[in-house]
Formats: sequence, structure tokens, C-alpha cells
Amino acid sequence: MDKKKAVDDIEPGPAPSRSVDKFGFIKPEQGSSPDGISKSRSIHEREREERRIRKWRKMIGVGGSDWKHYVRRNPHVVKRRIRKGIPDCLRGLVWQLLSGSRDLLLMNPGVYETLVIYETSASELEIIRDISRTFPSHIFFQKRHGPGQRSLYNVLKAYSVYDRDVGYVQGMGFLAGLLLLYMSEEDAFWLLVALLKGAVHAPMEGLYQAGLPLVQQYLCQFEKLVIEQMPKLGQHFIDEMINPSMYASQWFITVFSYSFPFHLTLRVWDVFLCEGIKVVFQVGLALLRFCHDELVKLPFEKLLHAFRNFPEEATDPDVLLPLAFTFKVSNRLVELEKEYQKKMEGSNASTSTKRSQPLKSKTFSRIGSRAFASSTNSEK
Amino acid sequence: MAANAGNKIRNAKLVLLGDVGTGKSSLVLRFVKGQFVEFQESTIGAAFFSQTLAVNDETVKFEIWDTAGQERYHSLAPMYYRGAAAAIVVYDITNAASFTRAKKWVQELQAQGNPNTIMALAGNKADLLEARQVPAEEAKTYAQENGLFFMETSAKAATNVNDIFHEIAKRLLQGQQAQDTQAGMVLNQRPAERMVNSSSCCS
Repeated sequence: MDKKKAVDDIEPGPAPSRSVDKFGFIKPEQGSSPDGISKSRSIHEREREERRIRKWRKMIGVGGSDWKHYVRRNPHVVKRRIRKGIPDCLRGLVWQLLSGSRDLLLMNPGVYETLVIYETSASELEIIRDISRTFPSHIFFQKRHGPGQRSLYNVLKAYSVYDRDVGYVQGMGFLAGLLLLYMSEEDAFWLLVALLKGAVHAPMEGLYQAGLPLVQQYLCQFEKLVIEQMPKLGQHFIDEMINPSMYASQWFITVFSYSFPFHLTLRVWDVFLCEGIKVVFQVGLALLRFCHDELVKLPFEKLLHAFRNFPEEATDPDVLLPLAFTFKVSNRLVELEKEYQKKMEGSNASTSTKRSQPLKSKTFSRIGSRAFASSTNSEK
Repeated sequence: MAANAGNKIRNAKLVLLGDVGTGKSSLVLRFVKGQFVEFQESTIGAAFFSQTLAVNDETVKFEIWDTAGQERYHSLAPMYYRGAAAAIVVYDITNAASFTRAKKWVQELQAQGNPNTIMALAGNKADLLEARQVPAEEAKTYAQENGLFFMETSAKAATNVNDIFHEIAKRLLQGQQAQDTQAGMVLNQRPAERMVNSSSCCS
């Protein structure tokens, strides 16, 4: 093992002089980084941004004290503002308020520490193997055994102990990594718990359970939506033998946090934490709609290439998200889920029962932003 | 490596299988782009690449599916190996457990896959000789017993990477000629054989 260690310890060159973008990702050598936000801002824009932050601060209150009250009184205002993007400096806090993770944290003092320090996990080696392969181009996660990698390891290990059925699954690292860029380890852990166990929205643990039942369900729902919303493209996919798992499984498994322009990932997450998984369907549909006229002309191989290289205009959040919101899919998703469940029960009753596990942990509560969740779910 | 103009291009679906962190993506990246990165992002789901390779006066176009290595993603694998003309099962020579896992993949392919699939066993990270846990002889014997061809590769040092794909291409074309003379079949009827219909989740 000595040689391997020696090789691994040599850093590939995160020389401090290399320039990083606004989010901390090392810019590609060629210079021209199309991160869509690198244009220098005018004074007017900066003033507008400052006004926006002041509005948000008022809405949140000190440390989040006014948030629940504001949300209860003005759910539509909050939703609209979130769709326009949460100011980056407040993102970490607002994400915790939206997800219900704040309440979990407060109700479970010391739990995270116990999980990290005193428990052992069967997934430890698997986690270690993936640590340096999660956002490898981000400055925070680059340094071997540095604070970023250590935090990432701790959060993933803690989760794998917290839910031993799920353990650690590749893909979770990108969720945890994204969260760690905006909050502390313990906050990131509870947000992961809130998502997977369903504090506010439907639990997402099925994305990672054996057989990936929820991935299969989402892909099935997505395939139907494509056919319904874009019949010509849907038929073209069928003709070219394109299955949604070839391009969309990572969209769902990592909620667009993997191999996706980071500024867009953040905007998707703002909405995702507020409105739920629905936005992943909407953004997926919007990407296909935006490139529709091009995609219908492409053969199998070129299609697969196109899915990995959406044009820069398509990944501008201020273009893509408004387009995404034009797809009204809430009701249809519910119907398609029912259809899917019925079909699964019919076909193999024995294997598909694992999905809707009840919350087994008493540490869990559904209070939090419940009021907000129901108010946003009721409007379409 | 460019295809000669005018000759026939054969399409061949190829799948890479193997344990987490054995270097499946790195092998593909080396073959397709001639690049190597020390910390390759984990593959989530699967990734598609294509590359053509000229063998004598014929050209094979590989449609490559690079799969996620973790056991939990196992349920997605069949749709990628079904109908594949070739498979590369990858292990890491510095990790004995990854060799065990490679054998499991071979068994699964033998049981579930197409009997005509050309299978290669790649012992990757061959540059890390001092950390070796899997003797080359052991892998070679295993490969012979199971009708695979075997190479130790290094995506990092670019050792045997093109060679393994080249050998697969050669064997595909040989098998093809044999088939041509027998029944006049095509290597990979497209697009129908690319994916088996049951891979679709609904309908």
C-alpha cells in the first residue's frame, strides 16, 4: 500500500494561484468559463441586489425568528421571491428554514456528534473511496484530508449510521457536498435527514434504497410526462430507443447537483427545498423543450451527447426556470404515481413494498415548516 | 485512428462493469479523449461515450456505456449490458475485493448476458505495482478458464488501454466474418438491438 499512498498524497496541483469562480470551482485552464454570472455588474444591478437582500433580511428576521410568521401570512410572496433566487449570502439559512432541518437540529441536541464520534458504519471504506471524487474541482473539497473532505466524510458517515438501511450510496455525496458549501456539518446532516426522511415534502430515501425504487418511479413518471407534453419528441425518443434512465437518472438521484452548471443547481435547489421534487421534473421538461427542435432531428448517439452538453442559453436560470414553471405537473404527477404504484403492486407485490417506510426514528417530527408546505402544495 | 473513408463502419455496444473506484471512467476517458485525471468524479447512473477504431481496413464504432460501480446501482446494470457486443470487466490490481467483485460480474454476464458477448478482463492501476494484491497469473488463469481475454491496464500511464479496445474490435470483426459466412447477420442490428424493450420502465 505504501506506493499507492505516496502517489495519492501528491496533490495534482491545486496551486493557490489558480483562479476560482464565484462559487469556488477552479476555472478550466482555457480561461473562458461560461458560468453565466461572470459579467461585471453595473452599479445599478448592485444596488438592486442590495435592496433585494434587505427585503430578504426583513422577511427572515434575526437568525430566522420572523420566518415562520412571514411565511404563514404571505406564502405567495415567499414562493415568488424564492423562484427569483435566494440571495447567496442568505441561502444556507433559508435552506435550513425551508427544509425543516432547523427544527430537527434543535430537537436533537448532541445526536450528530454521537453519530460521528461514537458509532461505526459498514460504509466507511466506500465513503472514503468517493470523498476525493466529489466536486473534485471545488477548492473546498480539493485538499486531501482537508476540512472540506473531512466534513463531507463526517456527514456521510453520520447518515449511514443514522439510517443503516440506506447506508451510503454514491450520489449522496453531491447532495452533502452542495449543502456543506452553505452550512456547517451538523446543519448539512440534518438537512439531509429532512430530505430523505421527509420533514416537509415526500421522503426521498427511496432514491437510495435497494433497487432504487424511487428512481424507477420518477423515471417512469418523467417518461410519461415527456410523451404527454412533447409528443413528437417523446415518439422520437421511442424510435431512437432512448430511455430516460440514460439521461435523467442523475437529475433525480442528485437533484441536478451532479455535472450541471453550479449557478443553475443553486437556483433549482432554492425552488426544490420550497416546492419539492416537482421542480426536477419541470426543469427536466424545460431543458427538453428548450432544445426540442434540435433534439427531434438527432439520432441516438447525438442525442446522448446533447443531454450532456446543453447549450449555455438553455442553462441560464432566468430563462430555464420561467420556462420550467410553465409546466403544470403537480396533479398529473400524483395520478402517474398512483398508476405506477398500482402497476408495481400488480406485477411484483413482493419486491416493491420497501418504498414507503414509515419514519422509524422518534427523533423525527413533522412540525417545522408544515404550514408552509401545505400552503404551497395547495396552489398549482 | 481515424476511420478510412469509404469502408464499412460496424457499430458495437460496449459496457464497462466493475467495483467502485477501479477506474472504469478513467479507462474510457483515456481511450476516448487521451486524458487522465487523478480524481475522476464518481459516475452516477451511467455515462455514454463513443469512439471509432480502425482495424486493418474496417472500422468499429464503439458505443460505450460506463456504469456506476456501487452495488446499490446494480439494478440499473442489466439495461446497459443487455444486447452488448462486448463487455470490459474491470478490477483494481491493488484491491483484492475488486477482483472478487469482477468475478461476480463475469458470472452474471455468463448467466444473463448474450452468449456471443466478447468479454475482456482488465486489471487496472497496473502502474501501482508495489501495492499489488492480485497476482497477474491468478487473473490470467481465471480469464482462460472462463473464456475471457485478459490484460493489465493503466489508465494513468496509458498502458494497454488502446490495446484492450483494439483487441475487442479485432475479435468483434473476426466473429463477424464467421457469422457473415454462416448466416449473413449483422454485428449489431441497429437500432433495435441497442436496448431491449423491457428496459423501459412503463408501458
